[in-house]
Amino acid sequence: MSIKIRMRGKSKGGVAEVKALIKHPMESGVRMNKKTGKPYPAKFIDSVKVSVNGAEAVNAQWSGAVSANPYMAVQVKANAGDEVKLAITDNTGETGEETLKLK
Amino acid sequence: MKRRSFLKGTLATGAAAVAVNAGLLTPSTVLADWNKNAFSAKSSDDALNSVFGSASATAEGDVKLKAPAIAENGAVTPVTVDATGMSGVESIAILASKNPMPLVCTYDFADSALGYVSTRIKMGETMNVVAVVKAGGKLFKAEQEVKVTIGGCGG
Repeated sequence: MSIKIRMRGKSKGGVAEVKALIKHPMESGVRMNKKTGKPYPAKFIDSVKVSVNGAEAVNAQWSGAVSANPYMAVQVKANAGDEVKLAITDNTGETGEETLKLK
Repeated sequence: MKRRSFLKGTLATGAAAVAVNAGLLTPSTVLADWNKNAFSAKSSDDALNSVFGSASATAEGDVKLKAPAIAENGAVTPVTVDATGMSGVESIAILASKNPMPLVCTYDFADSALGYVSTRIKMGETMNVVAVVKAGGKLFKAEQEVKVTIGGCGG
């Protein structure tokens, strides 16, 4: 099952602010399960890549300290009609992808 | 006959091992890209050393850090780092100084991106949020204290 992403973005004067909401538990691997005394296994997004028309613009690395159901916004140089793609991978190898055509 | 079945057996297990390796390879190659040393570092300085090769950042740059003075819920602290006023921004790192592993995230920018990041991070207690920006080969930082009334790391 791939990770769900919602994306919004609008280009204004050649710069687009791209916002994304990702549905993910972002379990750091540190939080304890009080019943068993063992930590919940780590499951967090560790790689986020933003590309514009196929060219990589932002390459982000995350730890488990990014909030659950992460929100992210970045600014890229792009015009209306350009395609912005967000590709994410978590530490268990699960991936998610979303493409947005800028208005 | 015995030799034949022996060979068959080793071939089969060999193939299985290769398959398992291939399956395991996907996350481990991703992890190779992921800066494990930096993210498991217990202090901000160690983390910065492993991300940027240096921990000495000046506060002189035009780095705007926006974070709440008081976070009611430390598990979702909104943080925005705006370095769009600077030229040649290569990367931005966000750290929470007193988290068990301070480094929260790093962003590397190509020429087609601006030095701007907005995200939400987890904070266990009252501490400083630190934004470190690498621009033109130099490190700049901005810091702000965020008071956390409910911790974000114990639930």
